[in-house]
Amino acid sequence: MGTLSQAVINGLTLGMVYALIALGYTMVYGILGMINFAHGEIYMIGGYAGATFLGLWGGGLSVPIALGLAVLFSILVSSLHGAGLERFAYRPLRNAPALAPLISAIGMSIALQQYVFLTQGTTPKPFPQFFRQDLVAYEAGIKLFGGTLSPLQGLIIIISTLLMIGLSLFVRHSKMGKAMRATAEDRRMAGLVGIDINRVILTTFVIGSALAAVAGVMVSAYISTIFYRDGYLAGLKAFTAAVFGGIGNIPGAMVGGVLLGLIEALGVWATGASDWKDVFSFGVLILVLLFKPRGLLGEVVAEKV
Amino acid sequence: MNKQSILTLVFLALASGCIPVKEKETLQSVSANSASTPVSSVACPILIGVAGPRTGPQAKSGMDLDLGTQMAVAEWNEKGGALGCQVERIMKDDRSEETEARSVAQSLISDGVVGVVGHFNSGVTYPASEAYAEAFIPMITPASTNPNITDRALREGWTTVFRLCGRDDDQGPVAANFALERGMNRIAIFHDKTAYGEGLAQAFQDQAALNGGEIVHFTGFAKEDTDFRPHFTPILNEEIDVVFFGGIFNQAGPMVRQMREMGITAAFMSGDGTIYQEFIDMAGEDAEGALLTFPNVYSSQEALAFKADYESRFSDQGITEAGPYAIYSYVATNMLLDAIVAANTTEGLAMSRALRALTHSTPLGSVQFNEKGDVNESLYVIWVVKDGAFVPWDESH
Repeated sequence: MGTLSQAVINGLTLGMVYALIALGYTMVYGILGMINFAHGEIYMIGGYAGATFLGLWGGGLSVPIALGLAVLFSILVSSLHGAGLERFAYRPLRNAPALAPLISAIGMSIALQQYVFLTQGTTPKPFPQFFRQDLVAYEAGIKLFGGTLSPLQGLIIIISTLLMIGLSLFVRHSKMGKAMRATAEDRRMAGLVGIDINRVILTTFVIGSALAAVAGVMVSAYISTIFYRDGYLAGLKAFTAAVFGGIGNIPGAMVGGVLLGLIEALGVWATGASDWKDVFSFGVLILVLLFKPRGLLGEVVAEKV
Repeated sequence: MNKQSILTLVFLALASGCIPVKEKETLQSVSANSASTPVSSVACPILIGVAGPRTGPQAKSGMDLDLGTQMAVAEWNEKGGALGCQVERIMKDDRSEETEARSVAQSLISDGVVGVVGHFNSGVTYPASEAYAEAFIPMITPASTNPNITDRALREGWTTVFRLCGRDDDQGPVAANFALERGMNRIAIFHDKTAYGEGLAQAFQDQAALNGGEIVHFTGFAKEDTDFRPHFTPILNEEIDVVFFGGIFNQAGPMVRQMREMGITAAFMSGDGTIYQEFIDMAGEDAEGALLTFPNVYSSQEALAFKADYESRFSDQGITEAGPYAIYSYVATNMLLDAIVAANTTEGLAMSRALRALTHSTPLGSVQFNEKGDVNESLYVIWVVKDGAFVPWDESH
């Protein structure tokens, strides 16, 4: 029983992070109909930015302030990278055949990885652990049904939930959110009624990158290391989560991410077979796609006339 | 119809890609064989291949391989080279990926190397050694400890496969005996599903089970995994005395951190893949007390002299400490070149015969290869992390 509760806590924590990253994939797909394969790299750069900030300026600050500033700094860095990606790698190809931006995305993914590799080194680095006593030490954990919820896990779950609620409200109620939905439905028509499409698309990339940056800092603190290949694997998982929930569908990405995290953790818990972890998640994905080819909550398909 | 023609095309492309390689191999072996008869049989410069991870998570180990061989070659060239020829090195990056092994090996072979020092990871060395054997090129791995590498070579009759380091069916039992002798009977074992990690974990398990240890948990995970909490969850309510990990430092670091965070207080034990300063850097204070197996290489005068020389020579490249396999890479290069001199040729089979016949006097001590291409002695001892450094267990008490 205690281990089940622990498995749920672990799965939920990681699932929330998958969901945050998956939102970036799904929002871009919803609006541009393309998969931004470099999104995982934006997440990884967020982790590095956070670690760099803490290494340089985190010294004298108290734990919450240092972490808060690190998150803000990495949001800034990742958003700039995300915006640059859109402006220079995707915008020139917006009206090109669908394969061109896809190849551009893969190219950017490799380029960003190599750029971090060249500037930050090729071995994994430790993420500063000054918050250890307060946030992750076993003694600091909260006992829940026999499992232990570390304060950091609690923070990841709460912050992710707040960000997702915030994003939903933003998309539903703000003017920019309305413009985003209009652009997703019909880009040309939205342009004709006076929406600045370039600004809408740029904002989408910035929001997706900011969410990925928060995820990057939180996960790097959680697993305690950063590495230039981290983005590739996390991106793959998050992309899976987005497809799982129905790509282009914002609530779908959230549900898909959380379920993916839980399935992995519970699968290993139930069988004790760590080597089957990915088999559980992808097995369930295949089952879902067999019965619901557009994902759990359905793909958002723009109605074309 | 369309699909069929594409398939045919693919097949043709594959076939045409294969044939020249085969031709090259046979050509090379024929020319190498005929080259052993004339007097001046050596083409200058002598090319030595070096292969290991220069990028990827284990690039640190490839760096030792790179610099160790570099140092040996520089010393030979200062003395005028081998058989009157300058020695040149070709370093190739295999990124620790099994899938890269064959292509890296083939590209070294087509570059015309006469011998290879490498690779680092057992899972890469295993397929690569086959390619070198087919081309009759001697290969000395300084670091791959999986027993199958040389066992298969003996079975297949390949005389070109050598290993300078120890074997996991020696290393694993040393660790298991140490744990059991200290009453650590309830054991959880994890590995990274590579030939090295799984082989070492298996060797540890076999010895532990044989001597009355209780294996509570045995499983592997992907070598890219970074979140180990799901893997530790099934053993949370078990009483565990020791967690053994067959894998590399880049995972061992975060692994031991997360294990402590989850409240697991069992001892942490691992093998030669973990004995890197990076492990301590990543695990911080949680590395304290971790137990590892590795020979006490830097104990003799000669080895310490090598270490000092290595560290001063490469200090401008950011090297502060010679890694565990730097000395093995250095010695392996020297042995290869010694064999060329002794055989008076760069023909692979003659070099292999010389490698086996010689008793090599090296900074690692006197080295003699047996019929498998392994070294005979077992030198593994237990190390413990104490005050942020690796210390031999015997000296720490």
